[in-house]
Amino acid sequence: MEQFAQIIIGGLLQGSVFAVIALGLSLVFRVTGIINLAQGGFCILGALTLYTLEADYGWPVPLAVLAAVAITTLVGLGLGAASFVPSLQRLPNSSMLMLTAGLMTAIEGLALVVWGSQPYAVPPFSGERPIVLLGLRLPSQGLWIAGAAVLIILSVWYALARTAVGKALLACAENPMAARLMGVDVRRLTLVSFGLTALIGALGGIAVAPIMSFQFDTGRFFTNAGFIAVAIGGMSSLGGAVAGGLFLGVAEQLAAAYVSSLFATAVSLALLLVTLVWRPSGLFAPSRQRRQDVREELRVHRAIVRFKGRGALVGGLVVLALLAVLPAIVDGGTMSSLVIALILFIAVLGLDVLMGYTGQVNLGQSGFMAIGGYTAAILATGYGLPPLLGLVAGIGISLACALVLSMVTLRLRGAYLALATLTFGLLVDSLTVGLGDLTGGPSGLVGIPAFSVAGFAFDTPQSLYYLVLGLALVLVLGLMGGMRSGFGRALQAIRTDQMAAAALGINVVRYKMAAFGICAALGSIAGSLYAFDFHFLAPEMVGTARSFEMIAMLIIGGEGTLVGGLIGALLITLLPTIFQPLAAYKIMAEGLLLVLVFQFMPDGLLGTGMRALSRLPAGGPRPGRLTEQTR
Amino acid sequence: MNALEVEHLTKSFGGVRATNDVSFAVPEGSLTALIGPNGAGKTTLFNLVTNLFRRDGGAVRFFGQDLGDRTPSEIAELGLMRTFQTARVFPGMTALENVMAGAHRKLKRGALAQMLWLPGARAEERRLARRAEALLDLVGLSAFRDIAATSLPMGAQKLIEVCRALLAGPRLLLLDEPAAGLNDTETAELSRLLRAIRDGGITILIVEHNMSLVMDSASQVVVLDLGACIATGTPRQILADPRVIEAYLGPAAEVA
Ligand SMILES: Nc1ncnc2c1ncn2[C@@H]1O[C@H](COP(=O)(O)OP(=O)(O)O)[C@@H](O)[C@H]1O
Ligand SMILES: [Mg+2]
Repeated sequence: MEQFAQIIIGGLLQGSVFAVIALGLSLVFRVTGIINLAQGGFCILGALTLYTLEADYGWPVPLAVLAAVAITTLVGLGLGAASFVPSLQRLPNSSMLMLTAGLMTAIEGLALVVWGSQPYAVPPFSGERPIVLLGLRLPSQGLWIAGAAVLIILSVWYALARTAVGKALLACAENPMAARLMGVDVRRLTLVSFGLTALIGALGGIAVAPIMSFQFDTGRFFTNAGFIAVAIGGMSSLGGAVAGGLFLGVAEQLAAAYVSSLFATAVSLALLLVTLVWRPSGLFAPSRQRRQDVREELRVHRAIVRFKGRGALVGGLVVLALLAVLPAIVDGGTMSSLVIALILFIAVLGLDVLMGYTGQVNLGQSGFMAIGGYTAAILATGYGLPPLLGLVAGIGISLACALVLSMVTLRLRGAYLALATLTFGLLVDSLTVGLGDLTGGPSGLVGIPAFSVAGFAFDTPQSLYYLVLGLALVLVLGLMGGMRSGFGRALQAIRTDQMAAAALGINVVRYKMAAFGICAALGSIAGSLYAFDFHFLAPEMVGTARSFEMIAMLIIGGEGTLVGGLIGALLITLLPTIFQPLAAYKIMAEGLLLVLVFQFMPDGLLGTGMRALSRLPAGGPRPGRLTEQTR
Repeated sequence: MNALEVEHLTKSFGGVRATNDVSFAVPEGSLTALIGPNGAGKTTLFNLVTNLFRRDGGAVRFFGQDLGDRTPSEIAELGLMRTFQTARVFPGMTALENVMAGAHRKLKRGALAQMLWLPGARAEERRLARRAEALLDLVGLSAFRDIAATSLPMGAQKLIEVCRALLAGPRLLLLDEPAAGLNDTETAELSRLLRAIRDGGITILIVEHNMSLVMDSASQVVVLDLGACIATGTPRQILADPRVIEAYLGPAAEVA
């Protein structure tokens, strides 16, 4: 009984931190309709700044806390003003989600540059000695955490319910158009809510800093936990966010105590999937019905990039020839990076079919890479099966998972779909770590053979390079044929308007599943090849960070172009190899690049380049003439 | 035979009876106009017929076949096509691709054949593109075939949507205010298109406010008011019906 109470208290403590982060997420979501994935970044910025001020500069705790919160809030306001708020009017919601993922990566990269990759521990605010209350031992920091959480929750509630700014924020959330007409400055309020969420994040991060160790990428953990908590509680209800956070904390602690700490995350993720299927709008929020016969989102326009005619053919052949001679001119290190870039490009191709053409966000592509990689690796090392068989088996398992996942997520859209796929990725992550007997756990699987077909081993970087290049070529050509025909048109119709697509007899469910299947299969192939290339596979090589990296590759290159992903993959993989001294800046550059591309060339490098080229020869009818007629 | 039979169809949104025990039939080969003041429930009726909304009661039969609980895409598969009141062309696709998207249910080659660039699939694509171009030509939009459909003015988008539905080879076409927002030239293009559709033997049910367009071409008119069907008849009968005049002009009109 006492042990049980102890677990519940621990759960509530952890849960109150989740609740605070969920509160921040929910606030921004209500005002903008966007889940701000950068939220966790503010937690680590706050905590690490606190550490530096306290440990390196010797500031007294209260002063250091205040300064850390202020600095983080300023960073938040800066990012909001420079990036989040101006993009909000121009980008569709799914892109905004990715933009915040980019901001998160940029913050992580910044933390890596400033603080390095070692873990930090902040001393508790009021000593190490636990407090004993009714026979239960509490870490003294627990009081600080609980106090901070209660303070934050009450003040957010008070601010929203009782102050003019709060009421304006809620008006924005209910109906931005009406709020604008009534003279509410929506842009400024959005910025305020973004700054507020940075402040909340910093406070939450600082409060828990003393009871956990921190490093540059701990922010992801916070974002994920907060995201899951809001989803469990209900995204657009502040009370639901708090309840969801507490619930998640308790559930995780119970799972860690009574099941296994290795599977604590897996349990909470499974809980989340059940919630998403059973009550997508959250356990603690009323479900709302929306009018379905009006188009939800009009900001989904994208420039049309089409490769047609002789120019495209010649361009393609030139690029291909260039890729074919590259191995002859580059050095060994660059060679192996080239192989990796091409392998990742295959996974990005799948992502493009699903995200670029069908408009379904997938934050879990690394999950399929992991399935493909581990299946092939385990079958090859443990059972001595030929690599090709392992690769095919991986595809089979990935397709089965994709089938289940797509059935689960069929009715989910936007942030919910993003969350469900992220959950899938995290679930696979935690299984690769947890199923140590099978996967080698955190330290990974060694002794994976080279890829071979019918006795011919692709054991040099050159041979593997040509193999992957050929495979990529076949895939690009095949997908291009599909995307230019009825199949591609059906997917693109679904991307922007499922209702109108269904009214044409397009079976939305079947096509979404097909796109999901293609995405999963290509991810799985890439994962297998990755394992055969490295002869080694560890969880973080195919972890969730990889999912975000591949999304960055896709977006930097250009969504909906198939070949654009190659530019992104080459850029992100090769730049750090070519400019070795800059390798430490890789993560930050990746995040910034993603954000900048979104803001200044939403069609990606390839799309923007193609458009610039096609604009050169003047002529062709412009819609302007017709527009003038009707006005 | 009737292309469409609506019987005792009922739907409420909260307290609002958007469709109240509506019954009427659309004979095969006819051009039936559905009219009524704003908010009468015309669009809702379309949404119920295509099962976009679940009906509270009543039945819908399409060429004698009960539509029951079929999904919107299954209903489209049967050959019942509709357009939307606000044009819903697909963003990110050109005008031509938008029209071609309509032919989805008519395609014989599957995704695999298309991915393998099989000659049959390529030929089918070319045939389809030619038919789509011919339709765009008919409505005077062929010059804009390679332009993003959403960058065209509203009138052109609505015409594209009609062409798209047409390329799907419908047996019955439901058009929701296709002429709203069209200028005079575009309206002329539309009525030419409507005549061509009717002459091609496709049954049409059209929601339209433009009375001259309705009266010229409709063979039957159904009038809705406040969710209920208040009159059915030929255009001439409807124009003389006091209930219709009351619904449109209010009770004061009778006095005056
Ligand atoms: N999804 C919905 N939710 C709530 N009310 C609706 C919905 N669809 C239609 N209505 C209501 O039903 C009534 C009829 O609307 P509608 O069918 O659009 O009229 P019409 O097309 O004849 O102008 C209106 O009062 C409208 O507000
Ligand atoms: Mg209407």
